[in-house]
Amino acid sequence: MASVNSREWRAVCEKFLRSQELSEKESRKDPENDPFRSKYEARELLKEIYCFLKNVDADESEEEEEEGEEEDGQCEQSESEGGEAAGGRTHPGDSRAGLRAAKLGVVEYYLGVNHIETEELSAGEEHLMSCVKLLEKCAVTRENVSLCIQARNQLGILWAGRDETEKAQGFLETAKSIYVRYMKEDGQPPLDLVDFFVVEQEAPSQQERMRRFEMVYTHTLYYLAQVYKNLEQYEKAGQYCHSTLQRQLKFSQFVPLEWAINAAALSQYYITKTRYMEARHCLAAANVIAGLAGEVPSEAAAKESEVEYEKREQLRQKRAEIARCWIKYCRNLLEDAKKLLEDNIGELDLDRQEEMLRARRDEEEEKERGRKSAVLFDSSDTFDSICRQEEKVSSVLPLIFEEASAIFLVGQGYVAQAKEYFEMDGHVTDHIEILQDHSALFKVLAFFEERLERRCKMHKRRVDILEPICKDLNPQYYLLICRQLQFELAETFNEMMDLKLGVADKQDQPDAHTIKKLNHLCTSSIKYYQMFLDSIRSPEGKFPEKLEDDLLRPALAAKFRVARLQSKIITTNLNAQLENLNHSLDSYNFVVQYCEENPEAKKAVETELELSEEMVSLLPMKINRIKSKLASSN
Amino acid sequence: TTLPLQSSSDGDAIKVYVRVRPLTQGTGLTTDGDRNLCLTVTSPHTVRLHSKPEPRTFTYDHVADMDTSQESVFSSVAKNIVESCMNGYNGTIFAYGQTGSGKTFTMLGPNELNDFSDELRGVIPRSFEYLFFLINREVERSAGAKSFLCKCSFIEIYNEQIFDLLDSASASLFLREDIKKGVFVEGAVEKYAASAAEAYQVLSMGWRNRRVASTSMNRESSRSHAVFTMTLESKETGQEVVNIRTSQLNLVDLAGSERQRDTHAEGSRLKEASSINRSLMCLGQVIMALVDVSNGKTRHICYRDSKLTFLLRDSLGGNAKTYIIANVHPGSKCFGETLSTLQFAQRAKLIKNKAMINEDTQGNVK
Repeated sequence: MASVNSREWRAVCEKFLRSQELSEKESRKDPENDPFRSKYEARELLKEIYCFLKNVDADESEEEEEEGEEEDGQCEQSESEGGEAAGGRTHPGDSRAGLRAAKLGVVEYYLGVNHIETEELSAGEEHLMSCVKLLEKCAVTRENVSLCIQARNQLGILWAGRDETEKAQGFLETAKSIYVRYMKEDGQPPLDLVDFFVVEQEAPSQQERMRRFEMVYTHTLYYLAQVYKNLEQYEKAGQYCHSTLQRQLKFSQFVPLEWAINAAALSQYYITKTRYMEARHCLAAANVIAGLAGEVPSEAAAKESEVEYEKREQLRQKRAEIARCWIKYCRNLLEDAKKLLEDNIGELDLDRQEEMLRARRDEEEEKERGRKSAVLFDSSDTFDSICRQEEKVSSVLPLIFEEASAIFLVGQGYVAQAKEYFEMDGHVTDHIEILQDHSALFKVLAFFEERLERRCKMHKRRVDILEPICKDLNPQYYLLICRQLQFELAETFNEMMDLKLGVADKQDQPDAHTIKKLNHLCTSSIKYYQMFLDSIRSPEGKFPEKLEDDLLRPALAAKFRVARLQSKIITTNLNAQLENLNHSLDSYNFVVQYCEENPEAKKAVETELELSEEMVSLLPMKINRIKSKLASSN
Repeated sequence: TTLPLQSSSDGDAIKVYVRVRPLTQGTGLTTDGDRNLCLTVTSPHTVRLHSKPEPRTFTYDHVADMDTSQESVFSSVAKNIVESCMNGYNGTIFAYGQTGSGKTFTMLGPNELNDFSDELRGVIPRSFEYLFFLINREVERSAGAKSFLCKCSFIEIYNEQIFDLLDSASASLFLREDIKKGVFVEGAVEKYAASAAEAYQVLSMGWRNRRVASTSMNRESSRSHAVFTMTLESKETGQEVVNIRTSQLNLVDLAGSERQRDTHAEGSRLKEASSINRSLMCLGQVIMALVDVSNGKTRHICYRDSKLTFLLRDSLGGNAKTYIIANVHPGSKCFGETLSTLQFAQRAKLIKNKAMINEDTQGNVK
């Protein structure tokens, strides 16, 4: 009897193996006009196995009378059988009924997945639900735990597809709690689904079992991340993304480059939440893991073979992407510190700085505690390397120039690295964004510098970075970027002029050289503001009567600055003075008139409007004074 | 002060033209014999979809009913764009819709004809005719002071790879960006065309390659996007200077909308992780959604655009004039696809465009 059984059982196992083969491998080669052929074949095999389990096992248990009565229920009466067998199922490994339920559950599960894959969702759902019901009373056992989680993973996917996200969430959360309970109560490597249908010696190792099981749960978290995104619960979605990455790392289930990019991207999420410690951790981990993807093949090797070319391209691109995430990290950290330290005119508030430094000393201990509670990627293999990466840059808001400068230098290093791949030739938009970040790093560093001359030099670096591309870039394709560059250059020259003016104020009488310099900065700023304003004109050269929302503020601000700058040009020539002042008055008038005709604009430029109105009433007097001077000198 | 420049300005939003095809008879399509309509054209700008429980009305720049002629589609959609191209603007016309909704008929004509004089020829042959009509008129008027050069390229995007339809032997190509000429496909073949007939010849040659590809390499044409680009260069010799202007006209046949589940129309479906593949691709999408909600912070998104949106970035919220023709099938069996096409078209309307002229003054040439 036993030999017949084992021969029969071997046949069942082979059937099972074949159905897996059909479903996972051969189905991929099915023709377009018969896309589910292999899946249907696999389904038939599964149905046969199902019937076998129902019948043979029932017969068998009748024969083996010493096994007790609970097994002789008919297969049709699974409901009542389930109830009866409940006692035995607390240790299903020892009980035939339990084992049989587990096997049936596995087949139900695969039937469910098969139906879903062939677009018969309701039938699939039924099978999955009977799988869940079959094992309801003993989900958290070594035999069933993996199956129970996987069935719920599938149900989660199914319901999410039907737009019933809450229902999906329910199944997935249950899957999660089953895992947590199992790990608490047992924690031994559980059985895998296929383990029920293999001949003894083919069973996988304990280690492999654990690995597969952990993967199943990683998928649960991965689905939960998606569910919470769909529910717009971004904080939770973020947590689940983090846990998914953490588990991939811990159980070595990842593709290095892909993992690194995901971690780097997650850092950007933390940046928007001002959680710099976590952001830095993600980036440090991204650096380390990207390093696992291997060395970048040399240019020569890339020319030799296409595979090497692909690899080189991939590695360089992804590393450059991570570098860009670092740049944003440094930039935001510095800018957040600036926001904290600036006074109402945007200058470094020394009292505030002193106060912050004192507060920081007091909070040192507090911070230490925060560092420990932060979520980490704690893979024993990589932990030390990640920490070493982290030590290279602070995650605390800088308060003094030295601290800001250290962060700046790290950012600048990554700028150089990112530019190596994102060259201007071929990657125009990316390259320019990196340059804009570089300029922004200089801008915020200048905020921390007290000496005016040095600040001015930092702004000069910004001009050197941006001016060449602004000249070359074709506005037919890059209008938006052109405008951004024009505006930023205008602002930078304006800033430099103010700084030089500050320096000149300390001298008694500015010399000819200084005056020339000041005028140059002044006209350069006007030029770029004017270029920006001209880009708004219609093809016929007409300035729009009504500005679009997103251009309203910058356009009026630009007009105002032009007005102000024009009145600042230094000249002893009265005629030139007169002309400059007339231009200035025109521009002030523009702002005032535009706001009169479009009252809704007033809010956007409150301060500028107030000053413009004042100037419109004052300037004519000054102009008249010059006129009379001119008249008298003639 | 920071400059809030995210999208472009000046209101040249992308325009959307919805065209309803007539019911099919005996074409072998699954929609044959479907006499029930799922929509009604209620005005030249609105269409009502008979959805339950409440019917829904959608509004577009133009809605064309079943009786609309090819000529009238051309004059509402393409005429203006072709004229702008002559004046130095970039222009793009997209065709969008499910397989069998009449995209090819609208763009090319019946049976992808080679016959140029057919009354039923589509937007593309008509655009060619009109463009060269304008070119010839302009040359005559200027008495030789103005000259034009017209180059065509034709590429296909399939599975995020770019193939050159004018050189079917070539391997997949790369997208690059140039500081002067924007985004372009590196190494794509460019053919000169001196007349509408020549341009059409280039098009039909490429179109045939597309179909060959669909059988020999097991690709299906409706799963790929095809982009036909005409680059127009005009040279005007004035008294002291030579002005050179370039502009592009892109004609885009998008993959059947029903094939695009993977990208846009997917909605709330979860991406599965197959147990064999350790790759969890979708995690990136989730993270992207998180990162997108920023509060004035600047951040870097590591995940690249699709090839199509990258190539046409300029047309989608950039600097060009753009028209989308959304083709829909009125049969009630097509309800789902029609709804998603109408929704796509409505989303497209939110994208803003700004047209701008470009003059490249080359200085004194005396």
